[in-house]
Amino acid sequence: MDSATTNLTVDELNDTVLEIEDFCVDYGWGETAVRAVNNVNLSVRRSRVLGVAGESGSGKSTLVYAVTRLLRSPGVISGGSARLTYDDPTASDVKRRTVDLMAASGSELRAIRWSQVSIVLQSALNALNPVLRIGHEFDELLKTHRKDLKKEQRHARAVELLGLVGLNEDRLSRFPHELSGGQRQRIMIALALALDPQLVIMDEPTTALDVVTQREIVNELAQLRARFGFSMIFITHDLSLLVELADDIAVMYSGNVVEWAPAGDLYSAPRHPYTLGLLNSSPPLSGERHELVGIAGAPPDLSQPLSGCSFHNRCPFVLERCSRDVPPLRILDSSGRKAACWLHDDPTTVPVALRRVALATSPGEPAPGAPMTLAREEIR
Amino acid sequence: MSSVRLPRSPKVLVGVGIVAFFAILTVIGPWLAPDNPSATNFLPNLGPSGSHWLGTTALGQDIFSQLLDGARATMIVAIVAGVVATVLSVIVGVAAGYLGGKTDDGLSLLSNVFLAIPGLPLLIVIDSYLPASGRSNSFAIGLIISLTGWAWGARVLRAQTMSLRNRDFVEAARIIGESRRRIMLFEIAPNLLPVLASSFLFTTLYSIGAYVTLAYVGLTSTAVWNWGTMMYWAQANNAPLAGQWYWFVPPGICIALIGTGLALLNFGIDEFINPRLRAAGLSGKVRRASGLPRRPRLGYTPVARRSPGRVVVTPARPTPSSTNVGA
Amino acid sequence: MRVLGRRLSLYVVTAWVAITVNFLLPHLMPGNPVQNLIGKVTGQITPQQVRSIELLFGVGLHQGLWSQYVGYWHQLFLGNLGVSITLSTPVSSVLASAVPWTVGLIGVSTILSFILGTFAGALLGWFRGSRLDSVIPVATFFQAAPYFFLGTVVLLLFGSDLHWFPVLGAYSQSVTPGWHWDFVFSLLRYGELPVITIVLSSVAGWMLGMRNMMITMIAEDFVLMAVAKGLPRRKVIAHAARNAVLPSVANLSLAIGLVVSGALLVELVFNYPGVGNLLLQAVLNEDYPLIQGIFLVITMTVLAANLLADVLYFILDPRTRTEAAV
Repeated sequence: MDSATTNLTVDELNDTVLEIEDFCVDYGWGETAVRAVNNVNLSVRRSRVLGVAGESGSGKSTLVYAVTRLLRSPGVISGGSARLTYDDPTASDVKRRTVDLMAASGSELRAIRWSQVSIVLQSALNALNPVLRIGHEFDELLKTHRKDLKKEQRHARAVELLGLVGLNEDRLSRFPHELSGGQRQRIMIALALALDPQLVIMDEPTTALDVVTQREIVNELAQLRARFGFSMIFITHDLSLLVELADDIAVMYSGNVVEWAPAGDLYSAPRHPYTLGLLNSSPPLSGERHELVGIAGAPPDLSQPLSGCSFHNRCPFVLERCSRDVPPLRILDSSGRKAACWLHDDPTTVPVALRRVALATSPGEPAPGAPMTLAREEIR
Repeated sequence: MSSVRLPRSPKVLVGVGIVAFFAILTVIGPWLAPDNPSATNFLPNLGPSGSHWLGTTALGQDIFSQLLDGARATMIVAIVAGVVATVLSVIVGVAAGYLGGKTDDGLSLLSNVFLAIPGLPLLIVIDSYLPASGRSNSFAIGLIISLTGWAWGARVLRAQTMSLRNRDFVEAARIIGESRRRIMLFEIAPNLLPVLASSFLFTTLYSIGAYVTLAYVGLTSTAVWNWGTMMYWAQANNAPLAGQWYWFVPPGICIALIGTGLALLNFGIDEFINPRLRAAGLSGKVRRASGLPRRPRLGYTPVARRSPGRVVVTPARPTPSSTNVGA
Repeated sequence: MRVLGRRLSLYVVTAWVAITVNFLLPHLMPGNPVQNLIGKVTGQITPQQVRSIELLFGVGLHQGLWSQYVGYWHQLFLGNLGVSITLSTPVSSVLASAVPWTVGLIGVSTILSFILGTFAGALLGWFRGSRLDSVIPVATFFQAAPYFFLGTVVLLLFGSDLHWFPVLGAYSQSVTPGWHWDFVFSLLRYGELPVITIVLSSVAGWMLGMRNMMITMIAEDFVLMAVAKGLPRRKVIAHAARNAVLPSVANLSLAIGLVVSGALLVELVFNYPGVGNLLLQAVLNEDYPLIQGIFLVITMTVLAANLLADVLYFILDPRTRTEAAV
């Protein structure tokens, strides 16, 4: 975790693995369609971690599944593009290749899948085939993508991968239900790394685990990432977890990215009221405990989109125009961080809580001033 | 149980149509029959013609009249057996699932035993001991068939009851202090309806098969006209081999048709119980306009050619909080 | 193992129930038909044979019901199933020659039907909504038609009219039974139409059950993962099917009874020398000892098949094994 988010050269900034542009996803089609992801622009930089945070139903998972074309029916990608850039291992010299995931054919997608983009799901128990031994999962994967490997080599690789996540090779002969939740999730991570992918997508990989295991796995992930340098998209509703792991964080609400910032900045100095609400509703990583405050109101109903800002009915700082005009996601300052909120239009309307100065910290160490509560008068 | 609406798939509509047709035939079939099915008024072994649509039997009976008349006996036995078996399966299945414990062990064992014993051989054995008066009694036959046909439904109902038992609303009723009988009757039973309907259809289907088979083997009174008896006489007179298909085939087709109708209806109920089974398709027009595939394909989320062009125009709604918060 | 043990005890109880029902039936019926029967056939069978029937059915012994019941069990343990009145042969030896035919015919047809139905169902489930769906109503129609009706139609169409298959009997009259190629070939040829009939009648059940389970499985995460892993479609389908087949196997033991019931009638249509044919002859002749012996043997065979199916499930689902280990 030595990657500082500042001082990037232009080359590094442009070196993206995944570029998502104006991306829209609907559930259903025609009159009854529901917009689940709306004009999202995001990029994942090489060897960096993009955190995506939001409540359930915010569209964070829909976004990544749609980008990888894994979203189930009735999901339909209704606009935008997603391009994956990767080093083609089959080319004679190392060659960068860019694929338009929305135009890719079945065989092109199959070739990229897992070898370049792998996924870890929330529940490893459901993600592992219940009637197959763990060893079979590794073997089948390697057999499909690494045709050059012999049986013993595949076995050796599986043992090596298990070692990476601290598991003994005897796990290979086990069935998923014979393992603990933590072990299963470690196996999913080992599987995800099996083919040295450019990008690993983690969809709430620790949500189903207890806090101690959660912590261990996040630490292991950080180490593995530092060692192998893959990029990662980490999806969670737990912002404090993201701060430890992510370089950049995008906060989603009702299908829109409402805030994007380097992890430390976002954590210590949120700019969107929803981000603030998320931070206040999760326990801090360190420092003194504060009163946990939930976000008032119900999560958005996608089938009945609100006019204006989709958060305005739950926002404690709502302005008159918020229910009328949709706030665009705009760059706020020279650090490049963005937020979609009308409050920042006029310096006098910015509440104290959204006016903190970002502390110059690396993302691994949260700012000491992290715990935040809304001042009572601000809520009123 | 706000609405029990079957999915309007073509399968279900065809099923409803077939079942309705035969239900009507059950009621009016004997009146529609042009002749007395037992009367030997005609020349024997006539082929199909304008006056005898399906020809005549070796005894000179009108086959078409037998077919129409036979609908009622066939269906009555099937319905009697279906109803009795369903009632039995509800009593055993719901009690086992709801009461649990020793009661469940005993009742489950009972239904598993009846499931494991092959039904038709048992039927044949019982039936072979019946006196002639019993064999000609549709209700007696129906009752015996129901004895061998209730266990499957009991098993399914037990499983469904067990899953319902632990749901919140049943828990709530229990806490309020409603009596067990009341909970079973008013909280659980209505939620069992789809499973119940499915098990009734299945049992009726089974009963038709069982009854017709008994009749075909000659174990019911050969004087009661039903589709099985018709095939019994046809077989006894070597009609199939003699090329008299019009004697043997129509009753068989009728049985297969009504069975298909019941099964198609059952598909509808399956889709109602398990929404995953419903086809998630788009209408042809919308699909073509957007370039979307006909069938969703796992792992290849469709990319629409152009956005649906749905513009959300919602008038600005004042929200409760917006009035209070001043700048 | 506990699961298997529980199933085994279920079958033991079932066997006991079947035997007891078998014992009680003649006693429950008015006028004791067996007694009448013995009166009718005296002279046709030897006095010892009459005696064995009397022992088995407890007629003419002037004993209480309980001691008759004990006596019945005693006779069963001695292997005495009574004597067939029409054939004047001990029921046990009549059955010994008929049972292999039935087990062979129904066993082969059921295995074929299960495999075919499972494969077809897996494909129907995966390609749901495609043109393949039109198979469903057709298969349902075949399933709804009575076995004996379908058998007769198949026999007339393909056997009598088209002469594609030999019909009637289990093997050609021109070959002598024995373990040589001519006989085996004849056996297979004569088995074709009965097997086709049973498969046609029973395949829809497996197919539709598998299709529904397949559709349910496709919604599971591990199938999506198989796609995400870039596996070829064939392997993704295999992942789903491997799990979807488990309920079918679990239902196998329940369905065997139903299939056997129908298939017995097919023997009649094709004049196959199995117990089904025998049972119906016995019914026509009111040969009660034979009827009851056949019922017992059919029940025991079905129970044994059930146990086999349970073992198969036990092998296929690793979760049942762990449950036992814990």
